[in-house]
Amino acid sequence: MGLGLLASRALRSSRILRSPSNGGPTYFLRTIVSTPELNNADAAAAVQGNPPPPPDLPKRNPVGGARVHFPNPDDAIEVFVDGYPVKIPKGMTVLQACEIAGVDIPRFCYHNRLSIAGNCRMCLVEVEKSPKPVASCAMPALPGMKIKTDTPIAKKAREGVMEFLLMNHPLDCPICDQGGECDLQDQSMAFGSDRGRFTEMKRSVVDKNLGPLVKTVMTRCIQCTRCVRFASEVAGVEDLGMLGRGSGEEIGTYVEKLMTSELSGNVIDICPVGALTSKPFAFKARNWELKGTESIDVTDAVGSNIRIDSRGPEVMRVVPRLNEDINEEWISDKTRFFYDGLKRQRLNDPMIRGADGRFKAVSWRDALAIVAEVMHQIKPEEIVGVAGKLSDAESMMALKDLLNKMGSNNIFCEGNGMHPNADLRSGYIMNTSISGLEKADAFLLVGTQPRVEAAMVNARIHKTVKATHAKVGYVGPAADFNYDHQHLGTGPQTLVEIAEGRHPFSSALKNAKNPVIIVGAGVFDREDKDAVFAAVDTIAKNNNVVRPDWNGLNVLLLNAAQAAALDLGLVPESDKCIDSAKFVYLMGADDVNLDKLPDDAFVVYQGHHGDRGVYRANVILPASAFTEKEGTYENTEGCAQITLPAVPTVGDARDDWKIIRALSEVAGVRLPYDSLGAIRSRIRTVAPNLLEVDERQPATFSTSLRPEVSQKVSSTPFTPAVENFYMTDAITRASKIMAQCSALLKK
Amino acid sequence: MAHMMRNMRVPPNSASLAEAKHKTLEFFRMCCRSIPEIMEIYNLYDVVSPSQLRSAVAAEVRKNSNLTNPKVIDMLLFKGMEELKNCVDHSKQRHHLVGKYVVGNQGLVQDLGHKDQGSSNFLKNFYSGNYF
Repeated sequence: MGLGLLASRALRSSRILRSPSNGGPTYFLRTIVSTPELNNADAAAAVQGNPPPPPDLPKRNPVGGARVHFPNPDDAIEVFVDGYPVKIPKGMTVLQACEIAGVDIPRFCYHNRLSIAGNCRMCLVEVEKSPKPVASCAMPALPGMKIKTDTPIAKKAREGVMEFLLMNHPLDCPICDQGGECDLQDQSMAFGSDRGRFTEMKRSVVDKNLGPLVKTVMTRCIQCTRCVRFASEVAGVEDLGMLGRGSGEEIGTYVEKLMTSELSGNVIDICPVGALTSKPFAFKARNWELKGTESIDVTDAVGSNIRIDSRGPEVMRVVPRLNEDINEEWISDKTRFFYDGLKRQRLNDPMIRGADGRFKAVSWRDALAIVAEVMHQIKPEEIVGVAGKLSDAESMMALKDLLNKMGSNNIFCEGNGMHPNADLRSGYIMNTSISGLEKADAFLLVGTQPRVEAAMVNARIHKTVKATHAKVGYVGPAADFNYDHQHLGTGPQTLVEIAEGRHPFSSALKNAKNPVIIVGAGVFDREDKDAVFAAVDTIAKNNNVVRPDWNGLNVLLLNAAQAAALDLGLVPESDKCIDSAKFVYLMGADDVNLDKLPDDAFVVYQGHHGDRGVYRANVILPASAFTEKEGTYENTEGCAQITLPAVPTVGDARDDWKIIRALSEVAGVRLPYDSLGAIRSRIRTVAPNLLEVDERQPATFSTSLRPEVSQKVSSTPFTPAVENFYMTDAITRASKIMAQCSALLKK
Repeated sequence: MAHMMRNMRVPPNSASLAEAKHKTLEFFRMCCRSIPEIMEIYNLYDVVSPSQLRSAVAAEVRKNSNLTNPKVIDMLLFKGMEELKNCVDHSKQRHHLVGKYVVGNQGLVQDLGHKDQGSSNFLKNFYSGNYF
């Protein structure tokens, strides 16, 4: 809102004057007179003409370029907003009708993803034949309704509401973190009075402690209850509530309690004032100093769309970006607050471990020369490459090409296990798609705790369960869910029971119209993985989970690199390659188990953080983090997205694929690409779907093509795949905020 | 020669481009004549030869070969004369001359090419920085 809105309002009351002589360009003329009498006179004059008048108003587009979806074309009704007729589906509110007519109504409590509260009264508009202004967010639009948003009555109503809101709102904008992006600030500039009549003391409210992420200044709260509704409707925790009445009304947790949701950071975005702000970001920067870069989150496999706000070389904060298909407009706390890990434990120089076991900084020339020399002294089958969980597709392609040129085919991505099934793409992606989960009416979660593995997917399931009362069955270790579910069992034996129809839950699956099965990627590491997937396939077949019009068989991946790695065919030749390796190239791999690695093996660690992988490394090649490079990441539903560099690299670090390309030349096996464009055309020959950016590419073949397995499921129960939601990779482990969160919020 | 430069003052402006050109050549000759003295004063025998110094001066002069405005040329000649006087008067120290005329603009770290012989542009760029 703010100036843009003011300008658009000014334009709205103007009229297009088309020069009659030449029919040439259209001139906008800002008329000074926009009194309602005049508008009414115009409309009345237009109505008097016999044929239905072609609206003499300029063509208006919905706010934000939104498109109107008519579920049932017969139910379209017509309303008039400021005299401009709009067709809207039945059941929309007056506020939504105004938005479609291109009129942005000021609001505080209304949020289109939350239920309607109607308690801020800011969205008052005048409706003809209504005795007083109506709250447009709560009023359903009726056919033929004449809505007026720009009349003196509406303006006076807004001004009055504004005055009441500011009555108890402190005038501390200069020290408020919301300053510059505050709805109350903007709207009081646009709609408020130019003077106050208030001389008494303002009320003050005790601040609440909501944990290490959300800072509260409760005196600033205007009781819009967006946060309360968010907590119960989207996050699924009943932590926040409203206490007291009248001027004693306040938001709180009833008893002193931290907000224990993995989505709690989103209340910072939805709070229209500065009552809930980011604790780590407090007093760090003003929003107009920040440069926004539209990027992708890599801390889990969802690939949430984010905007990285940076000032100079420093990432100052991370905020969500709207993507209806993936994260809607929320992000998890890990995504929002891990960024301080980008400043700690960074590798900034190439280093070689000396005879005394200490690292010594060297030049790139020397480091690459040593790696190349060692690589050539080793038999090709003893060379192993491991891609880390944060690797982008380009660098994985380069690493695979380099190792193949050296004669080795032992390359894999951590988290995919040693026998990954890379043949059928439908066997490792989320075939239903994240937004498709909303159509489901029964879920079977196998060995996955979506709340910690992929918080945004969990939010979708929560939304579905809340909207349609879908049944959720869960097989796995005891876990925390924020929606109703049945815990069916802990081990794969339960799956066999469901497959054979002996389990009570199989009837729920059978009766479901759109059943969904989600298998966690933690299953990839199990010995009996093929048997588990065979059991899941049987359940799918028996319950009609995979049909031409519906594919409910999903795998929920854990890491940002996994899907692209499998698409690119990062599959090790032998599952014992680590045990016999003499040369290991870790590309950001910190969680791969190196216990069985022979002591004389030479380990190269290429990455951006001094994490677990560095302890065993002989040579360190510093690489850039995802905020510093352009890279393609494929999320768990098979949608490729690109990160963009927001800040410069640290020290002497280089982009991952450049390091590998340079190493290949020093080693005498030069890779044939010099630019990202060239490496992408190489990817085109392997996995063309990775080049279809921002568009989900569904799998072509279903998993029913999988060969029969004779393996039997073991009785070992499923184990949790993610021990600590807040610390899953090198960046989050280096983050102080994430450490505080794990200490305070992990139960 | 030194006595010629001892009493430096602003010479009258050149009337034409031809005159300015002539003055430039005179200045270059003066530089060439003072080079042996400079070699002696700053003990530059082990780092540079007189002919190298001459070509360094010539390169400095040629850098401005595109100028046609006599006033600008006069101004540059004055600055050059000042520099020459500073050198001859021992107003500078050895490293000033080594830095400016012996090592030159490439700086001390010179890529003589023996290491990256035959390597691609990509690798050369890679060694110098991440952004290319």
